Amino acid sequence: MQRSLVIAVSALLLGAVTLWLIPAQAQQPTPPPSWKQGQPPSLADSSLAPIPQPPAPTPASEIPVNKIKLPPGFKAELWASGISNARTMTWGDKGTLFVGSRVAGNVYAVVDKGGSREVKTIAKGLNLPNGLAFRNGTLYIAEISRISKMEGIEDKLDSPPELLTVYDTLPKDLPHGWKYLAFGPDGKLYFNIGAPCNICMPPDTHANISRVNPDGTGFEYFAHGVRNSVGFDWHPVTRELYFATHGRDWLGDDSPSDRLDVAPKKGLHFGYPFCHQGDTLDPEFGKGRSCNDYVKPLLKTGPHVAGNGVMFYTGSMFPPEYKNRAFLAQRGSWNRAEKVGYRVMMVTLDGSGKVAKYEPFAQGWLQGQEIWGRPVYTQMMKDGSLLVSDDYAGAIYRVSYSR
Amino acid sequence: MLVATLAASSAGVFAADPEAGRRKSEPCAKCHGADGNATIAGTPSLAGQPTFFTHWQLIKFRDGRRKDAQMSPFAANLSDEDMADLAAFYAAQRPRARSSAIDPAKAAAGRELVTRHHCASCHTPTLAGQKQVPRLAGQDLQYLLKLLRGFKAQTASDLDGTMTMAAQPLTVDEIENVAHYCASLRP
Ligand code: HEC
Ligand code: HEC
Repeated sequence: MQRSLVIAVSALLLGAVTLWLIPAQAQQPTPPPSWKQGQPPSLADSSLAPIPQPPAPTPASEIPVNKIKLPPGFKAELWASGISNARTMTWGDKGTLFVGSRVAGNVYAVVDKGGSREVKTIAKGLNLPNGLAFRNGTLYIAEISRISKMEGIEDKLDSPPELLTVYDTLPKDLPHGWKYLAFGPDGKLYFNIGAPCNICMPPDTHANISRVNPDGTGFEYFAHGVRNSVGFDWHPVTRELYFATHGRDWLGDDSPSDRLDVAPKKGLHFGYPFCHQGDTLDPEFGKGRSCNDYVKPLLKTGPHVAGNGVMFYTGSMFPPEYKNRAFLAQRGSWNRAEKVGYRVMMVTLDGSGKVAKYEPFAQGWLQGQEIWGRPVYTQMMKDGSLLVSDDYAGAIYRVSYSR
Repeated sequence: MLVATLAASSAGVFAADPEAGRRKSEPCAKCHGADGNATIAGTPSLAGQPTFFTHWQLIKFRDGRRKDAQMSPFAANLSDEDMADLAAFYAAQRPRARSSAIDPAKAAAGRELVTRHHCASCHTPTLAGQKQVPRLAGQDLQYLLKLLRGFKAQTASDLDGTMTMAAQPLTVDEIENVAHYCASLRP
């Protein structure tokens, strides 16, 4: 049922149905590994490779939190550490912070004990459990091909309940298969299904943002032509979806840009794999296409910065001009000679929804060409301070403001 | 100021101790050799493997993401600290060549394939491995064959899909050739 719907929608949007029915890997006789696809011959000897995730978190005493640079009046402290590969953060109703990971395969619960934090591992051995969302006492977890839930988890942190499947007919591809998960204003669970490659004609089931009801019914695609978005949020006033997307690799150090987009309605196409950053046709898949046929980015966030978390600030601790600004956490580049990203940026929108300002908020995880951490997501605390997760050091920082 | 307490179950923080790793490796020796150089065909040598690689593989075995009837029980009760110590111990051991039956014609064909498929950009030009990427040079032939066939079939557990994608273009014959080439190299 879903499949026929997808094919119909896709056919309307894009055309080449026959191609998409073939799995991505079968299309080219000898595709290079996903992250190398599209690498020009001139870069064949490049030693750029994905940055390895350390198997253990950095000891608290070795985390140089004082290197984090912030605007005047703001201060960062190490809030929790020893959380291997800490990524997405979501609050339980009773004040537990749930933390997801990618390659560590763990889900954690962080309990604030007034001045100290206790970290419990509530699930292990999962398949890249990056997506977490919480509603009505239930924690939802998104792995590669499955969304599942733990009911009443906050009362059972020391003996977590069994994972119940919500939806498990998602593609099984590992590359770009890990998910971001969040409840939309419509009460549905939104998540990404990334392209299973760096650059390829994705199968009809991939390169989108999708949604499903929390009971597993009503699956549908929401946005198309999205290479891989692992961070999004809804504007506090307009309720529109804003999402970050990682651009393709191997088109050079300065191209293409990652992007921040807005999807005010269902069914829009954001260009992948035909058009990058709203104005650059793909050297292979862009042939015969026009960038004007696809939605253009609200903001080019920078080449290879690896934009992950998107979060609108609605707290009251920060100065009034921070209200409704978006924080963008950028995990940082690997496919670029000189590293960029490794910072939290902020976006100020004007009254018409245009970007008025794009500026750094927190930086310093990159010192010269050396990195000691990678900021991945942000989350607000009740008091309006901001938590920043770092999957490389396995830590969470708290940023607060005082006049 | 940091004020984090850690439950016993959570990932600990510690400095790896290779000497403690040597003691902890005693139960492993009957299969992997006292210094990490295995002699049983089909069982991998661990000597000289990068610490990140060994540590990640042990995490996967313990958590059930990688399964093997012989190996899994030995990882089931390892703590994060044990794994770091074991990884540090094996990384410090000198790898020795295995007594695999190499077919020189296959190895010669494999050499070209390793270049064509960019194996070196992750496994390094000498195929000695780095960080989370394993040493292939001089590894046991039967083991290399088993793993490459597994990655090709998308059944070998792989941290995040990079190696699975790297194996997709290889045909059945090419896997033979590549494995003979890797096994033929001096570690
Ligand atoms: C009964 C034999 C046996 C014992 C004892 C054993 N292993 Fe293994 N180990 C194996 C086999 C067989 C494999 C290959 C599994 C496969 O084919 O995937 C393996 C694989 C591994 C790997 C993955 C290596 C690679 O290159 O992928 C590591 C690391 C490892 N073992 C570490 C240990 C450690 C540490 C111990 C002791 C705590 C241990 N093993 C005890 C048989 C054993
Ligand atoms: C993009 C980086 C990358 C490329 C390119 C790559 N590999 Fe790997 N390879 C890895 C990683 C990472 C692992 C460890 C997989 C894991 O368990 O997570 C691995 C594991 C392996 C293993 C298993 C060895 C063991 O001891 O467990 C073999 C065999 C292997 N690779 C062969 C190859 C060959 C042959 C090629 C070229 C055709 C190749 N690799 C290309 C990253 C890569």
